[in-house]
Amino acid sequence: MRGHLAILAALAWARVGLGQGPNDMSAPAARASAAQTDVNTGVIGSRIRSASAGDTIRVPAGVYREHLRIDKPLTLIGEPGAVLDGGGRGDIVEVAAPDVTLSGFVIRNTGIDLDHENAGVRVMAPRARIENNTLDDTLFGIDLRDASDSVVRGNRVGGKDLDVARRGDGIRLWRSDRTLVEGNTIHDGRDAVLWYSKGITVRGNTAERCRYGFHLMYSDEVTLEDNEVVENSVGIYLMYSTGIEVRRNRMIRNRGPSGYGLGLKETDRFVVENNLFVGNRAGIYLDGSPFSPRIPGVFARNTIAYNDVGAVFLPAVRGNRFTLNNFVDNIEQVAVLGRGSLAGNEFWVGETGNFWTDYQGYDQNRDGVGDFVHESFTLFENLVDRHPKLRLLLFSPAQQAIEFVGRAIPAVRPEPKFIDEVPLVRPVPVDAGRPAQRPDRAGLSLVALAMGGGGLALVFVARPRGMARRRRNNGGAA
Amino acid sequence: MITIRNVTKRFGRTAAVNDVSLAVGDGDAVALWGTNGAGKTTLIRCVLGLLRFRGSIDVGGVDVARHGKRARALIGYVPQELGFYDDLGVAEAIGFFGRLKGLRALGVGGVLEGVGLVGAERKRIRELSGGMKQRLALAVALLGDPPVLVLDEVTASLDACGRDEFVSLLSRLAAGGRSLLFASHRVEEVTALARRVVLLERGVMTGEVPARDLVPHLGLQATLHLRIAAASRERAARLLREGGFEPENNGVGLLVSVPTTQKAAPFRILAEGRIAVDDFDLHAHGEQAHEPEARP
Amino acid sequence: MTTLGTIAGVAGEGRRAHQTPGIPSNIATVARREMREAMRSRWFLLYSLAFAALGLSLSFVSAAAAGGMGLAGFGRTTAGLVNLVLLVVPLMGLTAGAGSIAGDRERGMLTYLLSQPVSRTEVLLGKYLGLAGALVACITLGLGACAAIMAWKGDATRPGSLVWLGGLSLALAMGMLSVGMLLSVLARKASVAVGTAVFLWLVLVFATDLALMAGAIAMKLRIEELFSLALLNPLQVFKMWSLHAADASLDVLGPAGLYATEEYGRWLHAIFGGCLAAWIVLPLTAAAVVFARRSPV
Repeated sequence: MRGHLAILAALAWARVGLGQGPNDMSAPAARASAAQTDVNTGVIGSRIRSASAGDTIRVPAGVYREHLRIDKPLTLIGEPGAVLDGGGRGDIVEVAAPDVTLSGFVIRNTGIDLDHENAGVRVMAPRARIENNTLDDTLFGIDLRDASDSVVRGNRVGGKDLDVARRGDGIRLWRSDRTLVEGNTIHDGRDAVLWYSKGITVRGNTAERCRYGFHLMYSDEVTLEDNEVVENSVGIYLMYSTGIEVRRNRMIRNRGPSGYGLGLKETDRFVVENNLFVGNRAGIYLDGSPFSPRIPGVFARNTIAYNDVGAVFLPAVRGNRFTLNNFVDNIEQVAVLGRGSLAGNEFWVGETGNFWTDYQGYDQNRDGVGDFVHESFTLFENLVDRHPKLRLLLFSPAQQAIEFVGRAIPAVRPEPKFIDEVPLVRPVPVDAGRPAQRPDRAGLSLVALAMGGGGLALVFVARPRGMARRRRNNGGAA
Repeated sequence: MITIRNVTKRFGRTAAVNDVSLAVGDGDAVALWGTNGAGKTTLIRCVLGLLRFRGSIDVGGVDVARHGKRARALIGYVPQELGFYDDLGVAEAIGFFGRLKGLRALGVGGVLEGVGLVGAERKRIRELSGGMKQRLALAVALLGDPPVLVLDEVTASLDACGRDEFVSLLSRLAAGGRSLLFASHRVEEVTALARRVVLLERGVMTGEVPARDLVPHLGLQATLHLRIAAASRERAARLLREGGFEPENNGVGLLVSVPTTQKAAPFRILAEGRIAVDDFDLHAHGEQAHEPEARP
Repeated sequence: MTTLGTIAGVAGEGRRAHQTPGIPSNIATVARREMREAMRSRWFLLYSLAFAALGLSLSFVSAAAAGGMGLAGFGRTTAGLVNLVLLVVPLMGLTAGAGSIAGDRERGMLTYLLSQPVSRTEVLLGKYLGLAGALVACITLGLGACAAIMAWKGDATRPGSLVWLGGLSLALAMGMLSVGMLLSVLARKASVAVGTAVFLWLVLVFATDLALMAGAIAMKLRIEELFSLALLNPLQVFKMWSLHAADASLDVLGPAGLYATEEYGRWLHAIFGGCLAAWIVLPLTAAAVVFARRSPV
């Protein structure tokens, strides 16, 4: 019972506000687009009505207050300056036929009806290409339902300025297999959610300031690569999915109440390589993954730096294999919640371990591998794991005093959390691209100048005043 | 200029100054006379508003206890020994105290010339001799031309030669309508600077005499010349000091100044301490017996 | 007679100026004197060098740890600096304050200074401001040097958080200086004052936090109690405020931090500010009262 309470307490701070789980992401509303009566009544609408399958419609610049329903295989190209404005009602574009291309439009101002899931672009048929559109002020951005083999590329999707609970998804895929989501930017929305879709590729997208950057639900054989996921509540969350590859993504400063760079829940057969996890609340969060520990979860060549916790394991998690990763100055490098143990996971395999900035040993024979085993234990962490509220005293000198005692007196030394027998002494090169957040050299220089200048000014004020005065007075007296 | 009414200052149970009243008029010069511990310094500190006391003191009509700062603006003060940042340059010190006294532009050269410190601007206080330090303190005291000058044993840390020079400097500069209150236990200072002498003894004012009458008045004092074996001389001196006397070791014995009515007291103290007195002499010339170099 | 004339001339000029003595100008005069004296002293040099050296090595080390990956710092350098400030700045403030009045008294300077036309409050405030100036110079020079290293090494620390850190360090220094001054007017001897200051430093830096931890475990303190108790320690306030300012979120500090964020939210700035302001104003006021009442001798 007490152990259970401890786990609950430990989870309490990490769990608050972690969405409402899959429940609120229920199947799309059974809506009747027919309810929208004024569809295809405007200039573009009439051209759609009169077009035949395979036609290309070019829309010149201008603001079109219309709601479109594309019900035959057409190509709609918005020339620069072509704006579709929904006037704050309903959906804006509905794609009801396969093989439709929609490209180059500014699509803005949907309704805010969550029941009807008002969307900027709703695709209800396969093989759509939604490209290079800018969606702004949309409840849902691009919503694909049963739209397999589609391409969503180069769009910029902005949500409505609403409370998160009243926002819709920036991009949603529903049973849309083999879809390519590439080079899109999603900002200030709720989530980009991928439901029940097999074999999709999510590549080179940017998600910033959303709730979930990318969220997989029951989607198998998915590749997530080269995405930049910055300052969302949660970066990438994989749930109930199998066969996932996560490569060369950058998960930076995702600091919502759960704040995972990458979370995995009951996910199987995954490979996480060459990613960058920086400044998240938790770099990696593992909950029941891998679900069937026969196939290990692979974490290799990732840099996990400056997170509050590098990798968090729920108590029963096992079967993960970490090699060649850089664990750089995370406040807590690896944590296991509650009374769990990391015993079922590996932090070195054969001759290959990881790079740990808190490694205390050295490498005398210069083979790149530390001469001593890396045993992760710190007395303060141990204390905090048992009494989470003591985290309040993090970063205080008392913490260092306790760590010092832990190192100096073996009797109070806790059991090591895990062992890396072959720790690396140099960081591993990671091919994850560069984070967008660049050092602000100009700003820092300015600060240096201001502070240094201020300090020197004070020293100048305090210079011996007598000098000048004395000389003057000497002259006067002579 | 200075009015002291019924001033009492206690440190714990002992009254360092006990119900003293006196007045220093415009242009008056009053010396506070007494041995160390008579309460001179304490009274001066009361006048400067440094201590809290019972009774009242006002300077130029300003109540010291309530408006210390305004009262002090009327006072130039020279302490027994200048205690200030050693590293400070002379000119800097003048500038600093000048600003405290509300003076903006100061001709430091002129100020130093007035007290005979020309050429010392660049020196640090630490590098000054005792006499030069006192001159500097005097220069500081005279900044802003205060109507009152208060001096506390200003020559006590000087050698005989420096003392004479400083007193003559004082007698030249302190004049000019200023009121003067100073503590001393040196006859030549008092006769040179004071008009009146207020006699203090253990915090109590025992009398007041014109300065020229001090020497005869001091006839009441006697100096005992006690011959004591060198081995026990130190202990004897200590016992006498504890007994309230101020013995001075002159190499062959101890010189003790005693009121004529208490000439036997030192003998009693020494007898109690089982110290033998080999011989003794009695001089009736008071303080001057301490200071053969100052004898006229 | 010429000498007399010169003095009188100077004096006459002085008397005219004397009609407009401003209280602030006295404070400024004492402050400048004190600052100059502090900057000449060995402690100032020692602290400045120690602070700058530690800060610089810290900046270098964090640049070296992840510099190759192009993500040096990312706020972690600031966290290290927070730790450094927590250790060094309170010691500077406390000992500088403790040595001031007590030291002057011991060297016999205090009576002489107070015999001049200044009030005790002016002397106290002047000394406070002077020492504060010296501390400000020491801290800004140290942090400025760190900022220069960070700019050079391409540290990803945001300039804004460094500015916050600087400002809060100064506030902490002022508070500790205040406490030091109080010790200084209370103690008879400088050695006692400085000794007490060092002891107090140990208490604030280590003892209170360790006691808080022990108490939190033994007495099963609730998180809101823990947070309130932590507010009593100016060092913890400084730390929490720095993190809050840099991150806009205290939940890095666990349940208690999360509680603070949720319960007080935008009021946290005011709460932390109020706490530090109290540490600056109250001890200094107490020092002024004691100083005005006690004999300076």
